[in-house]
Amino acid sequence: MRLIRLATLVLAAAAVAACNRAPGPAAARPRVALVLKTVNNPFFIDMQRGAEQAATDLNVDLVVQAAERETDVDRQMQIVENLIQARVGAIALTPSGSRELVPAVGKANAAGIPVVVVDTRLDKQAAAGVKTVTFVGSDNYRGGQIIGEYLVSASGGHARAVVLEGIPGHETGDSRLRGFRDAIKSAPGVVVVASQPANWERDQGFTVFQNLMQAHPDADTVFACNDMMALGAVEAIAAAGKTGKIRVLGFDAIDDARRAILDGRMAATVAQFPDRMGRQAIESAVKALRGEPVPAEIGVPIELVTRTNAAPGSVK
Amino acid sequence: MAALRASGRRLGTVVGLVGLCLLLSALTPYFLTVSNLLNVLEQTAINAVIAAGMTFVIISGGIDLSVGSLVALAGVVLALCLQAQAPLVVAIAAACAAGAAFGMLNGLAITWGRLPPFIATLGMMSIARGCALLFTGGRPVSGFDVDFRHVATGRFLRVPAPVFITLAVYLLGRFVLAETRFGRYVYAMGGNEEATRLSGVNVRLHKTMVYAVSGLASAIAAVVLTARLNSAQPIAGIMYELDAIAATVIGGTSLMGGEGGLGGTIVGALIMGVLRNGLNLLGVSSFVQQIVIGLVIVFAVVIDTSLKSRRP
Repeated sequence: MRLIRLATLVLAAAAVAACNRAPGPAAARPRVALVLKTVNNPFFIDMQRGAEQAATDLNVDLVVQAAERETDVDRQMQIVENLIQARVGAIALTPSGSRELVPAVGKANAAGIPVVVVDTRLDKQAAAGVKTVTFVGSDNYRGGQIIGEYLVSASGGHARAVVLEGIPGHETGDSRLRGFRDAIKSAPGVVVVASQPANWERDQGFTVFQNLMQAHPDADTVFACNDMMALGAVEAIAAAGKTGKIRVLGFDAIDDARRAILDGRMAATVAQFPDRMGRQAIESAVKALRGEPVPAEIGVPIELVTRTNAAPGSVK
Repeated sequence: MAALRASGRRLGTVVGLVGLCLLLSALTPYFLTVSNLLNVLEQTAINAVIAAGMTFVIISGGIDLSVGSLVALAGVVLALCLQAQAPLVVAIAAACAAGAAFGMLNGLAITWGRLPPFIATLGMMSIARGCALLFTGGRPVSGFDVDFRHVATGRFLRVPAPVFITLAVYLLGRFVLAETRFGRYVYAMGGNEEATRLSGVNVRLHKTMVYAVSGLASAIAAVVLTARLNSAQPIAGIMYELDAIAATVIGGTSLMGGEGGLGGTIVGALIMGVLRNGLNLLGVSSFVQQIVIGLVIVFAVVIDTSLKSRRP
């Protein structure tokens, strides 16, 4: 009991000491934060690299934080709350939930901290009451269309496709899928025989596609809404001894996928330049911090990657 | 004597928490501010409430791996009720009933089905998750009116509502554990189940109730989580069971059962919350954060056991 009292006393003393200290004067350089969905996907590592370069060029401090799991939206919200407490100047956020992160953006608004949304849009309806500086990202719908158009022409208008979806309800995956489905409408011979979520992950891409191959042995194409799941499917195809017989389409053009395309294990993917997204996000955040105007939307280009341009770095 | 030992152990974790707070106060000026401390309490609420239920289970000598999935399921039930224009009280009651009922199924599988708790709740982890996905078609349910969101966003004297909910859960839980017959049976079953049975206690009934309590706690956490995110996700709460177990164990409740208490668990949950908050404030890399959190869990238990073995 005495120890508890002692501890309370020490804590109280520290509280008094803290109150005498005005937080923040040491930070002469502006500090901006990049909050990623996760750091176990190369896409976000590339984004982080672009952001770090921009931060160096602009002479600002950059804090990069992410939840351990992409599905843990509450943890991402906690990170945003904590960064608000740490009084960062601006936050660039890749929301792991299009609606779920809206309250976090609202809290940043209340604290007067500008928020740049990167890669995944906030849900329009849910975000009606909050302010964001800009959206930096690619048009995922257009990307889905590009890969769908590729499938129509590459298959000569006849394909039986299996789709691996991302986490259900994610704006990114939904848009890609809508674009893909709209593009293949033009070819009645191209049909989707199954569409199942594999939650963006490589191991789930493997098992889900392995199961779907059992159910649909006649499938000749798989479109995965990101490269991680596509690479999982590539392994499942190899395990079944069907390499080269099933056309694998991905999205993101991460290095592993480019290598897979070069040696024929994958057919195509869509390049999204996450490093440019990271750079643009930090540049916009810094502009907002300095009160300079920022366009409401900053598009980052998107490009089909096939064998002809798959060598890493060749599309940039 | 036992009570003295218990308070001694809790003291260890309290000293740990205070030490952590002092360290963070020295390292960053942003930690020890009223708004940040309230922020930490708000963020800790969900894990703390789940861990309260977990404490009942672990004291009784069991384990509940299904709590994360039960959070998702209860959240989905709540959201679907709200979407169907059910009154707020009815929706919350339905979510709590769903959590308690699925928890009770855990208990029945363990008592009547004679399954080890690890297996029964592992099965439930998958069943409840599947139900949550099935009820929603895999999509998050969102868009609630402002009334409901007050559960998370409301404040009284600057203190966020989830903090009061946590406080209520712990006061009630403490009363049940310390003052009621059921509470004494929870300890007795964890200490020596056979002896408890032989002394005429209905072990099956009380054990089933323990798991219902854990399900109910998960449902209360789900209400807070859903209000906080303004959305119920069928994939919410993945791995929350491990956070709850960690908070309970850091708090000095023995995984062997029979001893521990809620006073330790709340401190354990706070240690985890403060740690995550502090590492964010310091801008520590996400990779390093995971290492630090793991080390703290292990060291907390090491210190706890060494304190315990030093006492006569």
